[in-house]
Amino acid sequence: MVMLPIAVLFAGVVAQLALGGALSRAAKGWLAFATCLAAFGGALFLVPAVFGAPAGVERTFRVAGTPVAAAYRLDGLGLLFLLMATGIGSAILLYSVRYMEREPRGTTRFYALMLAFVGGLSNLACAADLLMLYASWEVVGLCSYFLVGFWYTDEAASRGARKVLLMTHLPGYALLAGILALHARTGSFLWTDPAVPAAFGTGVFLLMLSAAMAKSVIFPLHTWIPEAMQAPTPVSALLHSACYVKAGVYLIARLYSLGPWHPSWNTLVVTLGCITMVAGALAALVQTDLKRLLAYSTISQLGHIVTALGLGTGIGVAAGLFYCASHGFFKATLFLCAGAVQHATGTRDLRQLGGLAARMPWTTMAWLVASSAIVGVPLTNGFVAKWMLFGAALDGAWIPVVVVAWLVSVFTAFYMVRATVAVFYAPEPAAGMSRAVHEAPLSMRVGTWSLALGCLVFGVAPQPLLSLVGRTALVPLGFAEPVRVSWFGVQLPVGQVQVTAGALVVAAVALAAVTLYALRRRPEPARVLVFTGGDPIAAGDATVNASDFSAIAEAAFAPVSAALDPDPLYRAGVRGVERAALAVQRTAAVFAEQPLEATLIAAAVLFGVLWLV
Amino acid sequence: MSDGARFPLVVTFLVVAAAAALCARGLQRSRDQEEGGRRECGYAATPYRWWILAAAVAAAAVGATLAPAAWQRTVLLDAAALASFGMVWSDTATRDRWAARLFLQLLVLSIVAVAAGEYALSAGAAVRRGWLVVGLFALGYGLKLALVPFYVWLPAVAAAASPLTTVFIVSVVDIAALGELARLRSDASWVFADFRAAWLAMAGLSMLGGSLLALAQRDVKRMLAFSTIDDMGYLLVGIVAGPGAGLAGVVAGGIAHSLSKMLLFGGVALAEAGLRQPVSLDDTRGLAARFPISSAAFVAGALVAIGMPPTLGFAGRSQLYLAGFALGGPWLLGAMMTATALAVLYYARAIHRVWLGVPDPRPGVEPRAAGVSLVVLIAAVVALGAIPGLLLAFV
Repeated sequence: MVMLPIAVLFAGVVAQLALGGALSRAAKGWLAFATCLAAFGGALFLVPAVFGAPAGVERTFRVAGTPVAAAYRLDGLGLLFLLMATGIGSAILLYSVRYMEREPRGTTRFYALMLAFVGGLSNLACAADLLMLYASWEVVGLCSYFLVGFWYTDEAASRGARKVLLMTHLPGYALLAGILALHARTGSFLWTDPAVPAAFGTGVFLLMLSAAMAKSVIFPLHTWIPEAMQAPTPVSALLHSACYVKAGVYLIARLYSLGPWHPSWNTLVVTLGCITMVAGALAALVQTDLKRLLAYSTISQLGHIVTALGLGTGIGVAAGLFYCASHGFFKATLFLCAGAVQHATGTRDLRQLGGLAARMPWTTMAWLVASSAIVGVPLTNGFVAKWMLFGAALDGAWIPVVVVAWLVSVFTAFYMVRATVAVFYAPEPAAGMSRAVHEAPLSMRVGTWSLALGCLVFGVAPQPLLSLVGRTALVPLGFAEPVRVSWFGVQLPVGQVQVTAGALVVAAVALAAVTLYALRRRPEPARVLVFTGGDPIAAGDATVNASDFSAIAEAAFAPVSAALDPDPLYRAGVRGVERAALAVQRTAAVFAEQPLEATLIAAAVLFGVLWLV
Repeated sequence: MSDGARFPLVVTFLVVAAAAALCARGLQRSRDQEEGGRRECGYAATPYRWWILAAAVAAAAVGATLAPAAWQRTVLLDAAALASFGMVWSDTATRDRWAARLFLQLLVLSIVAVAAGEYALSAGAAVRRGWLVVGLFALGYGLKLALVPFYVWLPAVAAAASPLTTVFIVSVVDIAALGELARLRSDASWVFADFRAAWLAMAGLSMLGGSLLALAQRDVKRMLAFSTIDDMGYLLVGIVAGPGAGLAGVVAGGIAHSLSKMLLFGGVALAEAGLRQPVSLDDTRGLAARFPISSAAFVAGALVAIGMPPTLGFAGRSQLYLAGFALGGPWLLGAMMTATALAVLYYARAIHRVWLGVPDPRPGVEPRAAGVSLVVLIAAVVALGAIPGLLLAFV
């Protein structure tokens, strides 16, 4: 049964390729959605088995009479990622049905690749064989390459796909080298092999970490993700929320299964996570493209997740995994909302948008829920995730982490408020917006809202997800259950937080406030004094909005953001390689000019060397 | 090399020959329909000679792989190589005949060197003149496989001959010669064990030199020729490593190389025939919209060549990495991965400059038979890559 979701997904890929020519675009979309939903159902079916065996359910499949074999182990960590990939993937595929309906060609390719993408991550999460894990890792990478380059006749999409390939595939060789080094020491490709912990040293750790950094957009290997925004929005949503960047998170978490970590490894991972948080948030502050802003926010959020994983305590890893799942919900919602906006208006430039709250109320509400979650507003899963991260950092006396995470949370609030105002509440652009701008179609709204509801449900009642993380995912990673999950919520070692009870109180207060507001007469707008951080407000400007703040932030942080961009170094590296290639060609020119003579001289040198040796 | 490995090699030769023949036939037909058979490429202008020689190359390579006696294998391999020279001669224009002549001269040198090496080996020169035997084999097989520094004929031939002729050389003749070198590894292991450093130096130079030189090319056919030199470096590492992962990697990697080069050169052949000009990084853009199957074939061939999962290339490359790590530790593995990284750079550049991007609005024609053969090959390299045990079972 372990292979059921994976088998369903790959059967879906084959079905898309076989039936693609005969089905309409919408039918292909529905088929893909049904496939992914069936895989999600299969993953849910595995939950009791994993809860019954926290160390994991192991299966090896063999084809009789051949050396064909595949070793799987599904534990709580794998199950979490399997549920995330198939669950969030299903919502995104439901959204895609109408989104891709206008696409004149390539929908068979699109849906087959989307299913392979989800299937790749599912296989990665279940693989016990490290070589199969690497193959799944690259399948995920290859799918993202083809999906980012979906509109391959567009230069920007083509360039973006190339950058994704180079920046994520090349570091992938580090993972392969780490696997081969482990194999050389243990004679086995299974990470479940008892000899693995003794063979798991700093070299192997660093090799595998560098591959994970590229996948999970950790500084300085993060610069590919904004270029990947040239993809269709469902691809961006899947890439950011459930599949691509989460593969690296999975690998970092899985490294705890391979053996105990040296304390310096924790320091390294936490440091990289903190730098990534800051770099992503600073870059997000200066974006004017909605999807690029969300892309940079992914970098920042992945910094939070990796920092939590690096803390090296049970509560820290639990925080990282809960944050990872939460990020899947809110980031996918945000991307789907951004896609709906682009679908309706034809642009994602913040300077050309505005006033959509009235025209797209459902999308606006979903955006508000998800942006509240990413900022960490109570009642959302983002709040619980941040609470756990801060709790774990305080528990481990990682005070600099608390300070950095707090600062980045402020930045996050800054750019999210700015985007929210610019897209939904700012006045409509001067040029006016087409009358045709309207709310997203029903299936797109259902897809978006199914994820937005996840933000609220796991904000008010995080117990089911935390049970999965606390009772099953941490055990195979070598941690005792660090959190007590009660009916009222989560109880951390530091600071008791009764999430559900607190959420109910907050919800009751909010409800009371809304009721009072509704019962009173709507107040007239009034001139108020606003603290602007010392910046003067232009004479006659009686109101201050988030755009004013963001202008200050842009001016202040743009140079810092530019300084943190490592792309010039990569470009210089590639230019250096090209120069070396030309130098080798100049040296080799003698062979082309005098081929016979050069060959005979080379042969004489060869015989001479062999004679001397 | 085990007897079991002969079967997949023979099947590969036949599949490649059939695919190349279908591509050639499709191109010839479409050209005949368009222009009444006016000469554009060698195989269109001199069809019978080209077909006969192509069949001879395939038959001799298959025979060499199956023949029980060493002298029979040697004779058949030399026959395959000479027939491939005939193909080059038949489809190069007069101004490019120098490439064919160079090919013949170095081919004769390689035949003489290998024959002398085998004679010396059988005469018992191993004890007192081991360096001479190894030198003769290194020169002979270095020339046959186009290893650095004996590679010079291959880029010249690839640029001058039609892509489908080059396929027969790099996918059939070269791999059959590689099979013979693998037998030598089993029959006279001291040739490699006692002179390991020299063989590994040739392998390293071929991998890194080939990939750097490929990166410096503008003509796609020359780039593919240098990528073949790069591939041969990996395969030589597998041969030096010997039984186990080494020879398993040679068989799987050799088959992957054979099929990938068919896809790469096949894609270029179809595009060149449609464009009526060589495919170059300088002035060819956006071909994927005009030649979608050729484009898919090129991309799939590139993925196999760099050993990307889930293609067949990974089955071979992973075994070769294992063998390389066991043989030369992290340094050799690092060199192999560096060469692969360089290969990723030049293949990605070719794909994005030539095939993707803003399309040329003129329509492109891809002959049906050629398209079908390439699609079947793409499916084969993915299916065999997804279940590599099916191939490795024969090794």
